[in-house]
Amino acid sequence: MNKEKISSQEIIDLIASKALISKRAAEEFIKMMIATIEEALLAGDIVKIKNFGTFKLQWNEPRKSVNVHTGEEIILDGYHKVTFIPEASLKDLVNEPFAHLEPVQLDDESNFVISEKKENEVLDPLRIFTEQASEIKDILSEIQALSVSSKPVTSEEQVKDQEQTGIEFEVSKTNEPIILDKEKVIEQAIEPTEIISEEPVLIEQEETQIISELTDDKIETSSFLENAKSKNRKIWFSVLIILLLLAGTGSGLYFLYPPAKDFTDSTYLKSKKTILKMSEGVSITDMLNTISSWVTPETKQTPIPETIFIPKDTSAMDSVTEKPQIDSLQYLFDNPRIYREYLGSERINPGSRLTIISKRYYGNKIFWVYIYEANKDHIPNPDNIPVGTLIRIPKVDSKLIDSTNPRCIQKAKELHDIYVE
Amino acid sequence: MNHKELISAISTKMNTPKAVVEKLLETTISTCTELLVDEKTIGFQSFGNFEVRKKMERLSVHPATQIRTLIPPKLVVNFKQSNILKDKLKNLSKNE
Repeated sequence: MNKEKISSQEIIDLIASKALISKRAAEEFIKMMIATIEEALLAGDIVKIKNFGTFKLQWNEPRKSVNVHTGEEIILDGYHKVTFIPEASLKDLVNEPFAHLEPVQLDDESNFVISEKKENEVLDPLRIFTEQASEIKDILSEIQALSVSSKPVTSEEQVKDQEQTGIEFEVSKTNEPIILDKEKVIEQAIEPTEIISEEPVLIEQEETQIISELTDDKIETSSFLENAKSKNRKIWFSVLIILLLLAGTGSGLYFLYPPAKDFTDSTYLKSKKTILKMSEGVSITDMLNTISSWVTPETKQTPIPETIFIPKDTSAMDSVTEKPQIDSLQYLFDNPRIYREYLGSERINPGSRLTIISKRYYGNKIFWVYIYEANKDHIPNPDNIPVGTLIRIPKVDSKLIDSTNPRCIQKAKELHDIYVE
Repeated sequence: MNHKELISAISTKMNTPKAVVEKLLETTISTCTELLVDEKTIGFQSFGNFEVRKKMERLSVHPATQIRTLIPPKLVVNFKQSNILKDKLKNLSKNE
């Protein structure tokens, strides 16, 4: 703690410079102020200063003590003491560094330990994610070192660039040998590393190349694809496994950690937009469709398309159908629900529970939160509702109380946590 | 004595308009607040010291319910009167 002391003179200087007056005037003012406060205190008055605090006199009773040298009992005289009680605003300002802390109730020690553990668990997925990211980076750099001639692929952006170059190829209708060369180089690059790199970017690169090939000679497409298929079957298979693994961890992260969810959602939507934009040209949509039909076994086995790396694989058609559903659900989640229509009303009997009512009306007890939301104004505590209270059962959007949709359950659980607190 | 009374008392003493005194007092207080927020000690000659003290976190036990609560640490403003002021106050009789 910084215990630097500001003397009277220093504070006078500060005030003089702030109020744009001479130091003498400031000094006089401070002296007068202190004198006035002292006088008032000596007169037994209290002094209140707005935004600062209150000065008060406090009488300390005389008390007995012992002279430490002689062991004699002595009586300390009573005296007046000036106490200063800071105002709430000053208190808050001074206490700002610790303002976020709140008293914690400790029922028993085990409880405290558990809560700490939970925090760690929440942090875990992120840590794993960063570890994976660094691993991927390492592998990438290895590949880059091996395939000097091929373009280094480090991020999605560059993949996009390549797609664009692919489109340029379509215009020029050339360059087939170069692309083939590239593919070979990549295969060589993959084989020595053996791990085949948990790196979807590579796949994407290959795809983009195939896209450009497609555009190069549309007539020979099918035969060439078969060729490429047989060539790449091995790689595809291992890559598929890795994709599945990634999708698994990605989805785990997605559901466990809300910020990650937001992040992936946003990136996903962005990538979709780019795909949609690109599909404006007729030939490109054709191209994408052929690719999608060729890749479909892939996408079907990776059920969650929301992972960061996969979006390019999903066809334009899929993204179009999925987009509105996600948006409307998220919209329902994010906006405060207004209840106007009611299915009916229930009177609370001894033993009634909101969860039981919820199960009866909505088919799942977790959705009790929506009943509580609709009746918040006359239920202070959802755990203890007075007997005889009339509860209105709101009509909730059927999408919101879909017990087969894990996102609905998740949302209801979040609300549950908020309200039970 | 509240804020307004203090201002009027100072203004009559200094022979300056209330508005000026009010502004000066405001500046003084905001300056003091800023310094205190920076955890600095302010000493007013012959009056006393304002300082920020840290109250450490502690465990409190509710005597009746035995609920233990962890009270977080906090920073509080403390005023300690100077000895000059203390001597002046000594002359006051007990029942004032």
